[in-house]
Amino acid sequence: MFIEYTWLVPLIPALCFVLVGFFGNKMGKTGGGYLAIAGVAVSCLLSVLISYEFFTSAAYASPGYYTESMTWFTFPGGFEITIGFYVDTLACLMMMFASFISMLIFVYSLGYMGEEGKRKRRYFAEVALFVTGMLGLAISSSFIEMFIFWEIMGLCSYLLIGFWSFNHPEGDDKADNAASAAKKAFLVTRLGDVSLMGGLFVMLYAFGSLDYTVVFDAANIASVDHNLIIIACLLIFGGVIGKSAQFPLLDWLPDAMAGPTTVSALIHAATMVKAGVYLVARCFPIFCEASSVMLLVAVIGGVTMFFAATMAMNNMNIKKVLAYSTLSQLGYMFLALGAGGYMIAIGIETGDTALIAAGSLGYTAGCLHMVNHAFFKALLFLCSGSVIHSTGTEDMREMGGLGPKMKVTSITMLIGSLSIAGFPFFAGFFSKDLIIEQALHAADYGTAGWIFIVLWALAIITAFMTAFYMFRMWYMTFRGPEGPKTQHCHGESPKSMTVPLMVLSIFAFGFGFVLLFGFDGLLSINVDLATGQFFVGGGHAEGLEYLVEFFTNPWTYLTIVLVIAAIIIAKFMYDKRKINPGKFNKNGTSWLYRALASRWWFPELYNQVSWKLGYGVARGVDYVDRNIVDGAVNGLSNAVVGSGDILSKAQTGNVRNYAAVVLGGIVVLFVVILALFYFMGGL
Amino acid sequence: MDATIITNIFGEFSAMAPMIIMIIGALLMPALYFTTKKRGVVGGALVAFILVSLAVNVILLLGGYVGTYAGLFQYDAFSGLMILLFQIVAFLVALVCTSSIEVTRLHYGAFASLLLGATTGMMFVATATDLVVIFVGVELTSISSYVLVAMKRNDPRAAEAAVKYVIIGGMSTALTIYGLSMLYGVTGTTNLAEIAVSLSTAGFSWAFGIAMITMIAGYGFKIAAVPFHMWAPDVYEGAPTPVSIFLATGSKKMGLVVFFKIFLIMFVAGASVASFATVEMQYLFAIIAAITMTVGNVVAISQTNIKRMLAYSSIAQAGYILIVMAVMSEYALTGGIFHMFTHVFMKGGAFLIVGALICAGIGEKITDYRGLAKRAPFLAFAMLLFLFSLAGIPPLAGFTSKFVLFSAAIYGGDGATSQWVWLAFIAILNSAISLYYYARVVKAMYIEKGTATDKIKVPKAFLAAIVICVAAVIVLGVFPQIILGPASEAAAALFSLV
Repeated sequence: MFIEYTWLVPLIPALCFVLVGFFGNKMGKTGGGYLAIAGVAVSCLLSVLISYEFFTSAAYASPGYYTESMTWFTFPGGFEITIGFYVDTLACLMMMFASFISMLIFVYSLGYMGEEGKRKRRYFAEVALFVTGMLGLAISSSFIEMFIFWEIMGLCSYLLIGFWSFNHPEGDDKADNAASAAKKAFLVTRLGDVSLMGGLFVMLYAFGSLDYTVVFDAANIASVDHNLIIIACLLIFGGVIGKSAQFPLLDWLPDAMAGPTTVSALIHAATMVKAGVYLVARCFPIFCEASSVMLLVAVIGGVTMFFAATMAMNNMNIKKVLAYSTLSQLGYMFLALGAGGYMIAIGIETGDTALIAAGSLGYTAGCLHMVNHAFFKALLFLCSGSVIHSTGTEDMREMGGLGPKMKVTSITMLIGSLSIAGFPFFAGFFSKDLIIEQALHAADYGTAGWIFIVLWALAIITAFMTAFYMFRMWYMTFRGPEGPKTQHCHGESPKSMTVPLMVLSIFAFGFGFVLLFGFDGLLSINVDLATGQFFVGGGHAEGLEYLVEFFTNPWTYLTIVLVIAAIIIAKFMYDKRKINPGKFNKNGTSWLYRALASRWWFPELYNQVSWKLGYGVARGVDYVDRNIVDGAVNGLSNAVVGSGDILSKAQTGNVRNYAAVVLGGIVVLFVVILALFYFMGGL
Repeated sequence: MDATIITNIFGEFSAMAPMIIMIIGALLMPALYFTTKKRGVVGGALVAFILVSLAVNVILLLGGYVGTYAGLFQYDAFSGLMILLFQIVAFLVALVCTSSIEVTRLHYGAFASLLLGATTGMMFVATATDLVVIFVGVELTSISSYVLVAMKRNDPRAAEAAVKYVIIGGMSTALTIYGLSMLYGVTGTTNLAEIAVSLSTAGFSWAFGIAMITMIAGYGFKIAAVPFHMWAPDVYEGAPTPVSIFLATGSKKMGLVVFFKIFLIMFVAGASVASFATVEMQYLFAIIAAITMTVGNVVAISQTNIKRMLAYSSIAQAGYILIVMAVMSEYALTGGIFHMFTHVFMKGGAFLIVGALICAGIGEKITDYRGLAKRAPFLAFAMLLFLFSLAGIPPLAGFTSKFVLFSAAIYGGDGATSQWVWLAFIAILNSAISLYYYARVVKAMYIEKGTATDKIKVPKAFLAAIVICVAAVIVLGVFPQIILGPASEAAAALFSLV
């Protein structure tokens, strides 16, 4: 009764976007904020109702999804483009957590953006549009529809990063910074989007349709050229790398912190950057065609996980630390999906059902970490927002000792930090431990298994680094000696900001327990070996056995010990100040410190490639077109046009040269056509 | 609708009915201006004539009318749709030219008459089945448009542009007629269908090669294909903006129709077996297409004048449409026709905004557009839509039509892998490049701060035309079936012309 109206889920925020966009300033002081909150709350409620109905319906058992779609248009060659909605466990999960977190962040925005005046209208309209994109992506029933919402999110991300590019509260420099960060985010993700679009073209060519039910049908996959699918997967993963800021397109995300903190929390931590994870999870039926594709996913994830964590170690900007940590955690998710998919792919090849079931756990772990991360990272960002709101700085060296002044913020942020560090029984513990276990498990299979040993080691080291940099941040902010801005602190933030923090911290602590209550069965990926058909949900749930598994596994204790050690080191360095960090980095002069501070030279790399190469080529071609071509034909032109002196030196271009180029072009064309005829045997 | 309403009136001239109305209009306009001396009256009559002609054409088109006249003209689904395209262009131009300050106040009757005359020439080309008619049609358009460019008499840039246009245009005419006569020498006929039949049994000869090259060069000038493109930025920049619209969206499409008519019929449709030169010509066109789109896009990056930037972008768009000539399939032609329609609205719309802003005293430099979003929110938003559509961002029309066009290059034919995937790849890369310079304008409008902050008022007629284009860019993007259906019928009609 609700599931037929799934299309309303993205439509309601879209409606809010239009209403707030046009009439926001007539809706009182909040600029339409209440309407946006109400809209996304209705979407959230509807998502829950739809999910409940779906899980209790016959469609959940078989075929594992409920879909309705209609033909949008067809074009010659038997290609069909459809739009509609597609509900399965993954879609339910996505729309529930995205709408719920969006709602909380909207409430928080009432306080955080309170001083923006008339520009709140723009803010709330744009975030409502963003939520449309996110929820639309979650329920899309075809790749083309998914791509449209994907682009809507990209646009909103661009607009919101640049929100302060008109008048930044901290002056024109910051405004320019916001504008260039927005541009960078847009262009870099666009690079990935071009790749994704290429992937969609290949899929359309291969399947004749982009509808999920067609593309994910085992019979269809079997009838398509295997290599074509691999090319499509690689191109699609290119889009994922751009959107989820993975290596090597990861550098836009730290810059994107120039936007308001609520935007960082919503778009660049909790939801939009998860679109890539979602897409990989969604595309499991085709990504599992080749274990090498999944291996690539895992390696890219592992590399990003490690490098991003290193860059968070010495950053002084509270939001940038969180941004690098987002990259690193996204890396974990891709590692989980890659390891799981790798095992499934090998399981299908060898017909090993136990291995497929083990791989399914990687899928579950990746998706669970995606949701857990959404909760604790949104919480952490909002806490940092609360701190920034009351101190007016993002530099952690200017904070310190804020704990007594901002009790709620400091405690909720501590919960978030414990969760992301993977402290036992916090949400992050369950998913992260499962991921580390998956990486080790995958190492036993296939010829490339040894790579997973490396990735597993990196995952454990990263867990240590995560705990360290998170507690470095927490101690630098809330403990230790008071910083220069601590005196100016306004005290605790208003209720509209602290209540969302408290709600989120409950989830950041407790969401991991869903694993013990059948989450892995609901969100499992199963393969029918006879037909090769993938379906989501309805798997075996281990429940409380996980607790036994975790605590009988010696490696779990290694991770826990490392995490606790990291927390203690951080305490001694930044709270007690017993250990001087300067000893390790030669007071900021060691090569490693400088490498981290310049972000492993990624920005320079981008500049070299895009600016020097791209713009250089453009300038070069322009130069050739204007000067060399014109110059080279000058002699010819004199011979050809001779005495025609009318307007020979014109303001915008020389007409004689134009004529000469035309004639020169004819000569070239003639040579080309002769060559063509010669080589193709027509002559 | 029933085409008999029209055939009862026009009898054996029915195939030429839309053109006859235009010709009557062209003859009446100067007299009307001479007697009334009012620009408004002439402008109204101009729009009225175009609308009547458009109505007649739509009735014929929807009625599925097919008819010939004198063995030289044939009205079918293809020519009907192309005539519709030219009428839409003429309508948009006619709507705004009365209120544009760039269009001369003297000789307004002549301006209107020339506009109708030039459109008639294009319609000739659309219906022609004979090389000579095509030649006459192209010349009718060309000579009319030389004068249209020159009519901003007090502006030295316009005079310079017109002289350049005349000189290079004259050269291209000379080349074309040389090629046509060579082709006549080889095949002994000027009828397109007969040429196709004759060529399907012929072998390579020097005369044929020269004919092909000179015809490609001559008509390549019309569509501004590289390396015959250099006149276009100068002329678009110098001409009054409504005339630039006419040249960029109308005249260029006429060149493409000529290409479709002559080369598609000659090499694909006419020959039951592939003609001896088909493959080679496909590669030649593929090379021209790739170079045209690349040069257009890359040079556009460094332009600072918005009209020149749009001109180079036009060159690139023509390059995209030339993919049709490389693929030479019915499907590709469908995509090409679709893209021609969307290009009219998005490029026409962008030029309209430039023209409207010139009327409001805003310059043509991209830097003049700073802070436009504050001063004219609707115009800035419309410009953003047009530019994003040109760059191919969904769900706008430019995305959908490019999608069909490029997928034609990938799909190739009957389930086989196409050899034109590389061309599609170049085209997609080019689309990515193009976003850069379109985004620059958007950045100037939305992000950079301008010196002036007062609101901008533009003439109502411009607003109406821009609204039409905005609607079309969105509707065609979301419901492409509106134009895809007729376009695929048109493509089928062209392929069955022989």
